[in-house]
Amino acid sequence: MEKPKEPSFSAVLCTLREKIMTNSKKKKKYVAQNQKSAYLFILPSMIILSVFVFIPLIASFVISITDMNIFMKDVSFVGLKNFTRLFSDNRVSNATFNSLYFTLLEVPLQVGLALLLTVCLAKNNRYCKMLRSVYYLPFVCSMTAIGIVWSMLLDPNMGLVAYWLKQAGFETAAFLKDPKFAMPTVIAVTAWKGFGYTLTLLAAAVLNIPQSLYEAAQMDGAGSFQKFIHITIPGIWATISFCIVTTTIGAMQMFDQAYVMTQGGPLNKTETVVQYIYDRGFQTAPYDLGYASAISVYLFVIVAVMTFVLRRFVLKGGEDADA
Amino acid sequence: MRKKIGKITLAAAFGYLFTFLIAVTVLIPILWLLVSSFKTDVGVIKFPPRFFPEEWTLHQYLYVGDSIPIFEMTKNTVIFAGGVTVISLLFDSMAGYAFARMRFKGSKVLFSIILLTMMVPFQIIMTPLYIEVYKLHLLDSYLGLILPRATSAFGIYMMSSFFQGLPKSLEESGRIDGMSEFRIFWSIMMPLCKPALVSLGIFHFMNNWNDLLYPLMLTSSQNKRTLSAGLAVLVGNKVIKYGPTLAATMISLTPLLILYIFCQKYFIEGVAASGVKE
Repeated sequence: MEKPKEPSFSAVLCTLREKIMTNSKKKKKYVAQNQKSAYLFILPSMIILSVFVFIPLIASFVISITDMNIFMKDVSFVGLKNFTRLFSDNRVSNATFNSLYFTLLEVPLQVGLALLLTVCLAKNNRYCKMLRSVYYLPFVCSMTAIGIVWSMLLDPNMGLVAYWLKQAGFETAAFLKDPKFAMPTVIAVTAWKGFGYTLTLLAAAVLNIPQSLYEAAQMDGAGSFQKFIHITIPGIWATISFCIVTTTIGAMQMFDQAYVMTQGGPLNKTETVVQYIYDRGFQTAPYDLGYASAISVYLFVIVAVMTFVLRRFVLKGGEDADA
Repeated sequence: MRKKIGKITLAAAFGYLFTFLIAVTVLIPILWLLVSSFKTDVGVIKFPPRFFPEEWTLHQYLYVGDSIPIFEMTKNTVIFAGGVTVISLLFDSMAGYAFARMRFKGSKVLFSIILLTMMVPFQIIMTPLYIEVYKLHLLDSYLGLILPRATSAFGIYMMSSFFQGLPKSLEESGRIDGMSEFRIFWSIMMPLCKPALVSLGIFHFMNNWNDLLYPLMLTSSQNKRTLSAGLAVLVGNKVIKYGPTLAATMISLTPLLILYIFCQKYFIEGVAASGVKE
């Protein structure tokens, strides 16, 4: 029997991406002999999603208006007290600043570097393929391992990279231990870990652009730079904006890097919002879950607004680029 | 004309140099970790630091168990990441199959709701999730780690897309033969989805193997921690010497690196999805 053709993984991703970016829907279905078995098929997943996603989602808002702590005794509703407290909490504004600072520098660095490398590597020869898989390596590694390695390499006393930089004549700072340089260092390590992933997505998009477009441009006498601006960029704009949106969402939820490399220090200069939530709810007495939930809701709103604005903005930018 | 050729070669040469230098920057820390895990205690903290060890030794690997509960942590990570992968592949594909191939009341609404949950960031459900797992008396247990991850909206979506692409004559032949719905799913449809299952499986395995905040929150005792959570805590407390830390870090990376070398294609396809998850 001939094996039926399956859709490729990347094709699925493309449709998913379209679905998320444009909310389009279209479906075709086959009739089941019996409805009961269909419900049995979805039952395990629906139970798990209900218990561990839907209920917590609603509960989160409820807990945020209580004074619940981790021992869950004497819980009472306190209205919006947690939220008013949040807006006068210096560590919240500090963490918000840090998360925004991290996001505003890390996302352009990661996406920009990936884009630059895409220009060099969007071919399917052996060299480009090999380098793309090398760049992808850090993405496979856990942030814990990456954080440990870079903390040691950048240690001002015995770190190899810190030593090399000093030898090369750079007046090196204490990197992760210096309040001024800690966040830029965390940003650099994060971009180092993630650019290979962005590159993979962008390169796949570039390779999907029909070659005939470039040939036509060649006939019209377009140079490489013009081809890049007028064909490549519009051709992969959907992917670029997808990368910008998802990297931004991820960056606003940054936790692992700072937890492993700096524990939020020095002087709380790298403490992010998620880290502060974790610290308040699970690390420091009195394990104030109500307050932690309120900060989660606060972060959720910030991220939702950012996503909304960014989607309008970058998608619109794409339309302009097309015109 | 000649000038133009010269220009192109110059640009190409610059491109090669640039991409090569970036590749070196990527590889050095990983190679450094590999060779440094064979250094002696003195070699690790030697100044000025050297890239390669002066004296190669297996000491750090032989005695890593004395300072870090590496065996338990590896076991926990394998059970957690492996358990989540196997169970969620089953549940994801069952649900995906139903949404793709069966017609039932409410399927459209349910499917849209599932898609929406992909947009829910983890930290908004983090606190209530902790309370639930606590109330179920599952904190610090394998079940408590695996159960909340035993299915995923992304996996259901992905599998349903694959099932939709298969011809419908397949299950009809099964029905004519009088097979049960589950038999049709299990013995006819599932074998056709192997590539999708491998990609999705690697995606789940890697995400859970590397995850930090989730296992950190749901485990409290040292011997129930996963590799990434346990190492992060131990290193954060600064109680561990550098030598064993390097060996333990290398051990935590090795399984995924080996898997990556042999299943690169599936890795890249499967993991390219992680952005969607966030």
